[in-house]
This record gives sequence, C-alpha cells and structure tokens, in this order.
Amino acid sequence: MNREGAETYLRLLAEAAMRRSLAPAAELRAPGASRVLVVGHALTVVGALDPVTAEEILTDLRLAETVRWLHREPAVQGVTAAEWLTQGRAGLRPKQAPVRSPGEGTPGEDADRGRADRFVPVGLTVPFRAGTVSGELCLMSFAQTGSGARFIAAWQVHSPSLEVQLSQHYPGLIPVDEFTVTDDRGARYQLDLSPGSDVAWPNPIRLSPAPPATIRWLDVAPPYRRAVRVDLGCGGRPPVGDTTRVGVCDTKLSPGEHLLVMLAERLLTGTPEFPRRGLLAAPPTSPRQVVAGGFGVIIAALEAAGVLSPLSPVPARLATLCASLDLTGHGIAAPPTLDLPEPWLSLLAHYQRRKPEPTQMREGHAALAASLPEVDGIRVTLLGLHHTQDGSALHVLVQGRIPEPRPGPLDIDLNFPLSLWLRDSGGRWHAARPDRCHQAGRERAVRLRLVPPLTRPAEWVEVLAGGRSAEVRATLPLCWMYPS
Amino acid sequence: MTHAPNGAWFTSLPPCETLVPCGQGQHYVRWEAGELRLASHADPEAELVLAALGGEKARCVEIAEAWRRHAADLTVLSIGPRSPADEVAVTWDDVDTAAQATRGGGWGGFGPRMPRLASAPTAAMARAAIRHQQHQREAGEASQRRLDMLSLLALGTGFQLRLSGQVVAAYADRLDEPGEPGRTVRSVLTAALDGRLAPVAERWLGIDPDQVEVSLHRGAGWGSVELTGQGGQRRLRVSLPAWWLARVWASGLALTGHHLVVAVERAGWPDARVLALRAPGAEPVSLSAHAVSHASGAADAPHWEI
Repeated sequence: MNREGAETYLRLLAEAAMRRSLAPAAELRAPGASRVLVVGHALTVVGALDPVTAEEILTDLRLAETVRWLHREPAVQGVTAAEWLTQGRAGLRPKQAPVRSPGEGTPGEDADRGRADRFVPVGLTVPFRAGTVSGELCLMSFAQTGSGARFIAAWQVHSPSLEVQLSQHYPGLIPVDEFTVTDDRGARYQLDLSPGSDVAWPNPIRLSPAPPATIRWLDVAPPYRRAVRVDLGCGGRPPVGDTTRVGVCDTKLSPGEHLLVMLAERLLTGTPEFPRRGLLAAPPTSPRQVVAGGFGVIIAALEAAGVLSPLSPVPARLATLCASLDLTGHGIAAPPTLDLPEPWLSLLAHYQRRKPEPTQMREGHAALAASLPEVDGIRVTLLGLHHTQDGSALHVLVQGRIPEPRPGPLDIDLNFPLSLWLRDSGGRWHAARPDRCHQAGRERAVRLRLVPPLTRPAEWVEVLAGGRSAEVRATLPLCWMYPS
Repeated sequence: MTHAPNGAWFTSLPPCETLVPCGQGQHYVRWEAGELRLASHADPEAELVLAALGGEKARCVEIAEAWRRHAADLTVLSIGPRSPADEVAVTWDDVDTAAQATRGGGWGGFGPRMPRLASAPTAAMARAAIRHQQHQREAGEASQRRLDMLSLLALGTGFQLRLSGQVVAAYADRLDEPGEPGRTVRSVLTAALDGRLAPVAERWLGIDPDQVEVSLHRGAGWGSVELTGQGGQRRLRVSLPAWWLARVWASGLALTGHHLVVAVERAGWPDARVLALRAPGAEPVSLSAHAVSHASGAADAPHWEI
C-alpha cells in the first residue's frame, strides 16, 4: 500500500479542483470539492489514507476556495470573514466512541464472555392480546453470545384503530412489558426492545438480565395467556445444520477491488424499482450519480495508492454496470465487459423488466440459525428471513473484526463490510443491503434488506458471502411460517 | 541549501512593504532579505513582554508573531496564491470582523453545552467535561491559526508570495522528514508545485493545466520537462526540485521572456542569471534576466524580462 501515493493523489485532485474554482467562469461552486470528498472517503475506507489527513486536505481546499470569495456578493457564494473563520472541518473522521469504565456497558455484556455462542432456530408463534391490541410474536431464532441473549422476532399487531392500520407505526403498541419469560430454573427475564431505541426496528428482543448459557428452555408468556416453550437444545449443535451445504473458496480481492465491488452493489441496490427504460438515470446531484461520477478518479486514486492493480477486471465490470443503469460521466477508462458476476446480471435483468413481477408471497418468516465460516475475520450468523408487504429482510449477527465506521459520501456501510447475496430456489438473486444496525459490545445485529424482495416462498436459499479473502456459499432449507 | 552558492532563496526578491492599521495610526510592515521588519516598533520583544504583563499587543507585533508561527506552516501553500494573478484579497476590516467572531465565541457553538450539575459529577460526566474542554481548546487553537492566516493574507500578494517561498525553503531539503500531523512533506510540496506550475505551463504552451503532471526532482541536475501525446492524451511531464518554488516561482521568474525558467544560476535583484527552456524537451539555455518595474509601480510581484 502506498500511503504517500494516496495522499499525493488526493492533494493533486484538490489542486485541480482549486484551479477550476479560480477559472474566470467559475461563479458557482465547482464540483471538484465533492469529488475530492468522494475520493478522500474511498481512500480512507481502504485504509490507504488516514482520515485526519483526508480531512486536512478537504478543509484546506474549502478554506482556500472560500477565502477567495470574501468580497463576492452573497448571491454568488460570497462569505464573510466570520463565516470563513468559523466554518467546520470536513467530516471524514470516525466519531470517537465513548470510553467506558470497567463494569460500564450493555447489561449482560461480559457475563458469558469466553463461552461458546449459542444460536437456535425457533420458529414458534406466541399469540397475545392487550386491551384492544392483539397479535402474534413470531420467534425466528434465539442468539446467546458474550453480549447477551436475544430473540430475533417478527411482530404481527392488529388494532381496530384505523390510524394504526394505515400507518404501520405499530411498534409503539407492542405490549412487550407485559410478556414474562421464565427459564428451566425458574429465573425470570424481561423482554427489552431497547436495541438502539429504534421503535421502527422491533426485531431483536433482548432478554434482561442475560440468562446463563446452560439453560435448556425458556417459557415465553404473553399477558394472561399460556406460555409457549422455546426449546434451546443442549448445546453442541453444529454451527450449520446437517441439511446445509457449505463451500468456501479463496477470492483474494485487493482492498481496492473489494471497495469497488461494495460500491457497485450499493449502486445496484439503490436503483429505483421498475423504472421505465430511460428513467434509470439519476439526477446529477443524486448521491448515486455523485458516486458514479467519481468512479474514474476513485479508480485512479486506488491505483495510485497501490490497492488496485491496473490489470484488475473490476473497473470494466463497473463500466458495464454504469452503462446498464444509465449512469453517465463515470470516467472509467476501462472498456465495458460482458463478464459480470451472475448475481449482478440477475439484478440487472430484474431492473430491465417493464413491470413488477406479481408476488405470490404472504407475510411470513423462516427460522434460521446458521453461522457461516469466518470471512476476513468476520463471522456472520444468519438468524431469520422475514417478509412483509414492505419487503423482505434477512437478520444477521456480525461478530469479529468489523472495521470502524468511516463517515462520508460513498454511502457504504462498514457495519457490514461484506458482499452478501441470496439466491432463491427459483434461481433469482437478491442483494442483501444493510438497513438497520445495532451494536452491542463487539458484535452487531444487522437487518439486511433484500433487493429485490422475495416474490414467492423459497424452499431453500443459497447464501453467498464475499469478502476480500474468501467467498462462502451456504445452501439452507427454509420452512416458512405465516401468522394467522 | 538556503544559502546556496548563488545566494539565499530570496536573493532575487526585492523588499516589499505595506501599511497596517496599528493602534491609532497606520504603520509600515516591511519584508526584506527574508525577514519581516516593523519600522514603527523599535523593540518588538519588549512590547511582547509588556503584552504578557497585561498590556495591549500592537497589531504589527501580532503580525510579526503570526509570520514567525507560519513560516514553516504547510497550510500556507494550500491556501496561499497560486500565481501573482491569483489575488487573495483580504482587508483589515475582514480581519477585525473575524477577530470579533472569535472573541464572540463563534467556535463555541460547535461544542456540546454542559448541563448544570444537579448532583455530584459521575465519572461519565467528568469524562464529558474533559472532552468538552479538549474540544474547546482545539477549536480555539484552530480559530487562532485561521485568524493568523487571515492577517498574513491581508498583508497583500507580495507578502503572500514571500511567505510561500519561506515555507518551501523550510522544507525543501527535508522531504523525507515527517511533516505536520496529517501532512506528508513530499505530498504537500508536489501538490504545491502542481498548483503553481500548471498555470505557468498554460501560459507557456497553451496546454490545459489538467494535462500537466508534476513530480519532485531529486538528485543532480535541474530536472526534466517532456511533452508527450496528442489531443486529449497530451501530457506535459515536469520534474523539478522543490527549491524551484522558492527560488524561481516565488521570485516571479517562472515564465520569463517566453521561457520556462527551471533554475537560477546566479541570483540577484534586479539582475539574475537563469537556466530556461524555450520548449519542452529542448536543452536549457543560460539567460540574463532583468527585473522591470511593475505597471503599478510596486515591486511586490516582480516582473522579469530577458
């Protein structure tokens, strides 16, 4: 990795942006600054450039541009001296995580550190009624790790309130406090929807306090109803079920290739559903177009930083992707290629459809508890598939060497730094894109939105998890459950 | 290297001066032979001592301090002018407005407000307080740096060019040493060379500045200048030592008599001997350059002819 090359490239790009802003015709903000930001973000994501350095370069560029605007009219981006002095820094540095004292932290964390994690598929439904609200708690899986224990669940809530029926904002109505949970030793637990205090994401339900790792079952009792027993087995369950086939192969992507693949998949999953041909093109100011418009310089920067080989096939694939999605001005020098990964082709074919495919899928969920082999030091455990009228989602727990978030314009989520795809039993690929994330200790519970959503209940799915060093394929049978 | 056989880097630069509002009047601040001089303040050091004891610090003295603080500040190269025509027009009113914003807590708004303590502080609150103080301190330092920079820019183009030369001179022989945090010396100087040479190349050859590729030349000789390709693939590849920025560019010699000056053989004012290229790929020739008065009559941005 050539860190000096990366810094020099970004500084030269900033100089070019500065030059454009000095040109006599440059009355409006040159697009250079946003391009420098995009490339700076890319270089920090691959670790070729320290975020502090990237911020310095961007801040200097802003200061240099705006000090020349001191005596312009406000209508042509004039700034006052006070504004110049107090303008903030470019934000590429990760936010400092609060330092925690010993004993401070998520309840239950550390309690079982060092013990084997336990992931159990559940597949049970707990009907409930509380006042005028009724429904079902659909338990997909149980996950117990050093950070605590939680169910991955789906809620079905029925209310006579028309407002609730129309709004989908039912999580606030869930009577979670009125459930009781008891283990095989008589210990009682509370259900806690607090992860991230995200009421719109009521799928992970923490057990508080964290139960011992040796409990054999839990009775989950809704208000005034009989409890439903959740058998947690006796441990020793293999991480992936007998009926699951798993394969691992080396990929050896460079950091630059891995980033480009993530960006490509971000473009693929950010494309609007079923647009008419010709309307795929994003407006020039959209994040999608800004990122795509920076591909040429991103690729050149990655090459200058020594994290992307000039012989890499990935830029040519990106060129094809941009052409297929009507994204113009990408600046990729490599000619397009027909050699695209099968999942990309599947998703592109989906976008080329003229009308939505009729869905034969009811709201439902499939229990999962399958840990995939580690990729790039990251272990992904699949904890459930969930389909509603809003779309399909895969719930996972991510553990291990997760990179720290790098804020920036590229709109990629380093909470989930892998490429993850599902192929359904009909042969169609679905990209799994991070949608919600909650960090607890050294792990992250992530909800991945499937693009496109499932249209029929798959009998099995093949999961493809790709990282820099390896690619894992696991085929999992599914058993769908539907709320009444 | 600052005092090379052909003279210090600033030998081809004439003195320059400007009037600065100071106290109730206006004072001359003068740059000469690589140093800033305060004509109206006989003993700036003594004034600094008085200021430290609570007296008011004269603006001229503040400027001299800022100059000293930034004489090796690589940020100067990022913000300062790319050419004499790139006028960074800052007035003393701008400086006063900015100073008021600093005193008024313009930076304070960025920091978290500290809650009033209703009970004994917990460890978390103590840490938050420490973070807040650290943030305030960093913000204050950043604000002071920017205010310094604004004051130095307000001195005018002549001083801006000379300060750039001084910063380059501070690092030109230390390319491999660590720079300031977040800045690698070689990267900053490469970008500085690109930003200043590309417009010169445009005037020299009519080439698109974005088609100019620069690198820092190391070792013996003056470097190289090569033109390759056609149309959109046309590239002017230039390799020059970092000293070029101080000895040639800051002295206003970069493009003299339709030649690209690549080195100064014998520095001097108003006469110098330079090594210059008529065209890319040609052998450099030794030429006599003579400084002529600027149209404005000021010698701030020297103009040379063959």
